[in-house]
Amino acid sequence: MANYMVKLRYYVGDPLVDIKIEDLKKIGKQYGTDISYEKIENREMKNGLLMEETMNKRIEDISQEVVTVVGDDEKKFSDCIRALYKKYRSPRTAYSLMGSNETGRKIAWELMEVCSGWE
Amino acid sequence: MKILALNGSVRKYGNTEILLKQALMGAEAEGAEVEHLKLTDYEIGPCQGCGLCLFRENVCQVKDNTHVIFEKVEAADGVILGAPCYFLELTAIVKQLIDRTWIVGHNKIGKPPKPASVIVPYATRGWIPYIFMQANILFNTMCLTKINQAAICTQGISEVVMDEGAIALADRMGREIVEAVRTQDLHYRGEEGVCPRCHDKLLRVLQDRETIECPTCGVRGKLYIVNGKIDVRFEEEAWKGCRFNLDVSYNHYTYHIAPSKDYFLRTKDERKKRSQKYREYLEK
Repeated sequence: MANYMVKLRYYVGDPLVDIKIEDLKKIGKQYGTDISYEKIENREMKNGLLMEETMNKRIEDISQEVVTVVGDDEKKFSDCIRALYKKYRSPRTAYSLMGSNETGRKIAWELMEVCSGWE
Repeated sequence: MKILALNGSVRKYGNTEILLKQALMGAEAEGAEVEHLKLTDYEIGPCQGCGLCLFRENVCQVKDNTHVIFEKVEAADGVILGAPCYFLELTAIVKQLIDRTWIVGHNKIGKPPKPASVIVPYATRGWIPYIFMQANILFNTMCLTKINQAAICTQGISEVVMDEGAIALADRMGREIVEAVRTQDLHYRGEEGVCPRCHDKLLRVLQDRETIECPTCGVRGKLYIVNGKIDVRFEEEAWKGCRFNLDVSYNHYTYHIAPSKDYFLRTKDERKKRSQKYREYLEK
């Protein structure tokens, strides 16, 4: 099992630019980490807006883009997270790292404080 | 047509009241029905942060008069906010009202914008940096479009009557609101700021030291120096992210707030365990 694993959950409107698989692959290769991507889309057009009922759903099931980063080397893993935050900004909410392992979550959370792209 | 003045001053017959009443006189002269509402005559309790307005539509557990103010704004065609600046920003009751406006947000979809203006009497030049930011937040959360703003330098109680220019400006602002309602022309008529949306001059420097943001609208841009002058530029694309756009505020509620219920429930036992010591500390 990898030492560091984080799930960055980007919700609608959170990433600064569109998340593209080819860009993720480049970043993963550059920093020696494995990056995978999953998009969950449950929105429907209503009243001219893309809408979704999220109040009583599991966090994992609502519309979002999940970037999963896995690595064994702390420095490479941290640098990769930094690069992702620089490109997309960090995810925004208290629950946006849900599903990460503790070592990965801790690094990703601390980096949000210093280079989230929001402050 | 009804024009409502919201007065955020405790003072009776003070500068805020005088300026607001002059604006209402102007509106009345243009044929509007007018009302002067002193926020301090109403009980506006602090938001309890219970989340009921977020998690159950249109429910607020604070039992006070705030709903009356929201109903009056809803019934009005145009609004003029007045509040004094005592310490860099508007009075506390305005912020108290802002914190309670989450409940209004549920009903934003499909609402046509209404014109609003803000008049702020203050005493010392340079001590007013945040006055329009608060007004902008309040207007945005209540579906009001700012068409003008004025900061009036005056000091002692009722002294503003000595300033004919200020009185004339207030009168004009009242007339403008009526004209805006009539014509549905909600363009901004005041002095331009650096943000073309909220017209304020405040900017926030982000951690990268490359990006600036209008702190109210949440829109990002860049600073340039052109001929020795600061120039602020926002990309066209950036406006899609303005926090008061209907889709952006909808997404904020839908993806940042509503799903927190799941997280809250999942962490219930662990939270209870970890927070116990704070429940006990200094309580005996």
